[in-house]
Amino acid sequence: MLKIENLHAKIDGREVLKGLSLEINPGEVHAIMGPNGSGKSTLSYVLSGRDGYEVTDGTMTFMGEDIGDMAPEERAALGMFLAFQYPVEIPGVTTTTFLKTAVNALRKARGEAEMTPVDFLKLQKEKITQLGMDADFMKRGVNVGFSGGEKKRNEVLQLAMLQPKLAILDETDSGLDIDALKVVADGVNALRAADRSFLIITHYQRLLNYIKPDVVHVLAKGKIQRTGGPELALELEENGYADFIGEAA
Amino acid sequence: MNAVVAKNFKPVETVRAEALPWLADAAALRHDNAPKWIKALRDTAIDAFTATALPTPGWEGWQYTNLRPLMDAEFVYSATPVKPIDLPAPLLADSYRIVLVNGQLQGKLSDLPKGATLTALMDLADAEEELITAGDLAVSPFVALNTAYMRDGFVLDVPKGTDVDKPIEILYWHQQTDGAAPAAYPRSLIRLGENSGMTVLERHAGGGAAFSNHYTGIVLKPSARLRFYRFIDENDGLNLFGRTVVRSQKSSVFEGFSSVSGVAAGRQEFRLELLDPAISSSIGGIYMLKGRQSHDFSILADHFEPDGTSEQHFKGVIDDQSRAIFQGKIHVHRPAQKTDGYQSHHALLLSGEAEASAKPELEIYADDVKCSHGATAGMLDTSALFYMQSRGIPMEQARGLLIQSFLCETLERVSDDAVRALYAARIAEWLGADTAAGAA
Repeated sequence: MLKIENLHAKIDGREVLKGLSLEINPGEVHAIMGPNGSGKSTLSYVLSGRDGYEVTDGTMTFMGEDIGDMAPEERAALGMFLAFQYPVEIPGVTTTTFLKTAVNALRKARGEAEMTPVDFLKLQKEKITQLGMDADFMKRGVNVGFSGGEKKRNEVLQLAMLQPKLAILDETDSGLDIDALKVVADGVNALRAADRSFLIITHYQRLLNYIKPDVVHVLAKGKIQRTGGPELALELEENGYADFIGEAA
Repeated sequence: MNAVVAKNFKPVETVRAEALPWLADAAALRHDNAPKWIKALRDTAIDAFTATALPTPGWEGWQYTNLRPLMDAEFVYSATPVKPIDLPAPLLADSYRIVLVNGQLQGKLSDLPKGATLTALMDLADAEEELITAGDLAVSPFVALNTAYMRDGFVLDVPKGTDVDKPIEILYWHQQTDGAAPAAYPRSLIRLGENSGMTVLERHAGGGAAFSNHYTGIVLKPSARLRFYRFIDENDGLNLFGRTVVRSQKSSVFEGFSSVSGVAAGRQEFRLELLDPAISSSIGGIYMLKGRQSHDFSILADHFEPDGTSEQHFKGVIDDQSRAIFQGKIHVHRPAQKTDGYQSHHALLLSGEAEASAKPELEIYADDVKCSHGATAGMLDTSALFYMQSRGIPMEQARGLLIQSFLCETLERVSDDAVRALYAARIAEWLGADTAAGAA
């Protein structure tokens, strides 16, 4: 589903990813753990195509296509989704409008008919009920006046509405209390499927108690340093990242 | 600034050669059948304009206004009756209508509410105070020019205690005459009687090059309520320079709004005169410019008496090499205690070459007032754009959504739902149907 080979990427002229390779198969949940500054967020932005990140070497193949030169919306149309560490506020655009526009843009890009307003609202209502969200949020500007937990819940709502093939969760656990973390994890777990993969980027092992990964990678100094099973996360929790950054953290 | 021109203006000896082409067609009016008061005003104005010509960037208040498009073109004023061609359908299906073509009032096309009277300017035997106190002509060349050609226009009177049941659309239509770009100089007066209410939609539209220099006077008698909505259709050839003076009397309410979908060059001056206590007077607007278009909103809220409220809310987007100017002033005279004045202007720059200038001004002589202003100019939020793109919304559509939400926020000032929808449609039209798709 996703194959990254020898990826090198720069931001502001500084090389952050230095030969990263990774392969995710359909239905798998991968976790990438790493210390601050290891390139975790850079990886999520490079994968989703954010401006300002320059790929200097290597390839990214998603759903059989080389996505290196694709615009973010084209990658989304292929089925990529990024849950933001810091979801963006968009005053004046209601969450409903935002979601409806996104759902229909994706359908259009895939050559499908637009969703009728009735079907859309039905789907939206079903999803917000599942996530225990207040319907009132849908009428507000996207993420405007949302608490940290509400913003993350809104990310999961979008994930549920857009049904991507690959969901990248960038530090989704940051700033969440344990109750909010459970709600978000339950939302993600409900979406696990044989043809849907997840890439969970996190600093702490905590989220992985709720979303069980199949594979755990350690990212440090711009490269995958080690790959293992869920037990690797527990080991990191115990010993920290000191072994991977060459010197004491 | 309220000098009665015919009395106060002292002719100046200077003659500026560049003024003369602008007055060339005025000579033909010398022998028309205008009433004496109009002829006297014209003469005064011709003297005034001859001495000044059009303003230059050296003039106070004209530093930023782009008059270049006026220099390169030739406009022809004609008093010969025009035959209207291709008039657009009314903005609202159920409305009254007043039509002017190249400034000329089309009595037969007009449809008025019961009780209201419409009088052509030329049929006014005597001067109307509100028509002649247009300001000091020596510092307002466009008003002087409008006065030099005083002939077209009307007085609309709505008697007291009347709630006009449907909006009145006033259409200023511009069309070519024998292939020439028209110049129009209409002067109109709207008087709303005591305790009366009315909604006016004023639309400026037409195809091809035109020069429209209008003067609109509005008088609100005590407790009158006027909603005044202006629409300036997109026309790359239109040069629109107008002044609107709103004289509000005790406890009256004025709600004004104006949209500009693109003009070659334009300047809309609004003067809100709060002459008595307890008046509410507000003006808002949006502009959308591209190419080399330029537009200027120049607003003055003039508070003379206590307990008045004035608001100015403007937002605009500018693309390519277009230029937008906002000059807003709140003037609070000494007796105007408990004044509440607010002013805001926000510009969104879609291109690195577009230019927005804002000049907010507060001049306050009373000590117990609340006045504030805010002005910003910025680009589209790139993180919001990326956020939307990452959800599959194409760049152009994401931009459209952001622009639309930026502008639509101002529309909340428009209290009439149907009219707000008309303004929203203008925005969508400007953005193009595709980028606006999916917006609520």
